[in-house]
Amino acid sequence: MAKDQTSLTSSSSRRNFLNWFLGTTAGAFAISVLYPLSRYLIPPRVEESSSRTVTLSIKAQDMKVNSGQIFRFGSQAAILIDTPAGELKAFSATCTHLGCIVQYRSDLSQIWCACHNGHFDLNGKNVEGPPPKPLEEYAVNVKAEQIVVSKKG
Amino acid sequence: MLATGVRFVKAQPQGETCAVCHSALGVDNLTKPVEMYKADIHAAKGFGCVACHGGDGTKMGWEAMDKAKGYIGKPTPAQVIDVCGHCHSNAAFMRQYNPSLRVDQVTEYYTSVHGRRLREQNDNKVATCASCHKPHSIRPPSDARSSVYPSHVADTCASCHANAEYMAPYKIPTDQLTKYKKSVHWKIMTVKGDLSAPTCNDCHGNHGAAPPGVSWVGNVCGQCHPVNAELFSKSRHGQLFVQMGIPGCATCHSNHEIVETSDAMLGASDKAICVTCHTPQDPGGKTAVAMRQSIDNLRTSYENANVVLTTAEHAGMEVSQPLFELNGAKTALVKARASVHGFNLDGVKAEVKPGLEISEKARARGVRALDEVQFRRKGLAVSALIILAFVVGLVLKIRQMEKKP
Repeated sequence: MAKDQTSLTSSSSRRNFLNWFLGTTAGAFAISVLYPLSRYLIPPRVEESSSRTVTLSIKAQDMKVNSGQIFRFGSQAAILIDTPAGELKAFSATCTHLGCIVQYRSDLSQIWCACHNGHFDLNGKNVEGPPPKPLEEYAVNVKAEQIVVSKKG
Repeated sequence: MLATGVRFVKAQPQGETCAVCHSALGVDNLTKPVEMYKADIHAAKGFGCVACHGGDGTKMGWEAMDKAKGYIGKPTPAQVIDVCGHCHSNAAFMRQYNPSLRVDQVTEYYTSVHGRRLREQNDNKVATCASCHKPHSIRPPSDARSSVYPSHVADTCASCHANAEYMAPYKIPTDQLTKYKKSVHWKIMTVKGDLSAPTCNDCHGNHGAAPPGVSWVGNVCGQCHPVNAELFSKSRHGQLFVQMGIPGCATCHSNHEIVETSDAMLGASDKAICVTCHTPQDPGGKTAVAMRQSIDNLRTSYENANVVLTTAEHAGMEVSQPLFELNGAKTALVKARASVHGFNLDGVKAEVKPGLEISEKARARGVRALDEVQFRRKGLAVSALIILAFVVGLVLKIRQMEKKP
């Protein structure tokens, strides 16, 4: 009699453990499915593209000395410049005054903003007009004629 | 020997006797200059007391303060100009210390209101070199501790100009500092830390300080705002304002209290500046309303496109290309706002049109991206329901099978 009781208690304990085990794993499974689903339906706020490097479609050999080319860096505009000295440089093309897109002026060898006549030198430094800060400079690397522009730091 | 009796000064070796007595006298107005002068740029360059006060630094006591040796004690306002100018107006001399420093300060000073009053009316209350460059603790303008460091200039000028009692005889306002500190220029300088933002001397001149004349106030503002100034000078308003003798920029933007501009300044609403002279019914008022409408259209279109694209981006869609292109609409909006200074509706519309095209195109791409998001979400919901139904069915089937003997 005592032996049967011991056997029943042992069986009940094993069933409880199995139920608990199955319940926990089923719960974990449900969370692992529902969490990504909820993150998809209610996505986190992302301020801007986190891209830090871009490979340009233009080849280094196609750039003319003393010229500039606007390109897309994430969702922002950037400018690649082949300086009169033949050096490739890249900067953010967003003017630090009110956010207009700047352009390269080969007659001045300067970066120029048409909106309020702001001027930047070939180091991106604001040298004339209302822009309060220099343009952010990017690193330019050329690998087998491919131009790769990266954010510094 | 100068007209005011100031002896020619030259760099003196350190170790003058002046400090020996002046430090030991225990009288504040005599000992403090000695202590303060240790941090003065002139001390760092090897100049001693005699360079400005004259006398003989090798002698002690009254013998050192011999008027026959050029001792002048505390310089009078006119003497201050001569003492400072004696070195600072000498290009050959100054080249030894700072070759790029200008040497026309004295010439400029005598064109200023301060200088003219000193010379023509012998007014000793006016500012001289020592009023702005604090004597015995002069530092270069690039030194953040200097009284003429850009962010300190306004307070330095205001030490006289905001003093109602001191300025009473001149019958000019004393609220310039209060107004300036409400301006966008002060905000940019102090909040954003942009030291290139204008302060008193950028519009009035420093050594040649005077109010900007009515006919050239636009030139002054145009130093930093050349596009707006050029558009204005060529506009109907520019020519009319000159004829009427009213200042260009300051009439709409004020002078010291230049607040941040907004689209509300344009048009015929209560907040608009245009209604100061125009009614909504006159041709000028109608043009103002039309220009405002045109800019509002572009602003609304740009903002809508930006919201749609940003929402799509947050939902995980790839919209970097239209967002990049939308920068062109922002540029057009900024240019359209600047073009208002030409007071020509066609000029504003010419800037607005390409901006509208860009933002409408970008918005359409954003809407398509959001539609795609909705389509994918609905697809996901349908798939999830089918999977759920399948799981439920599976569970029911297993139970049914377990119940069978």
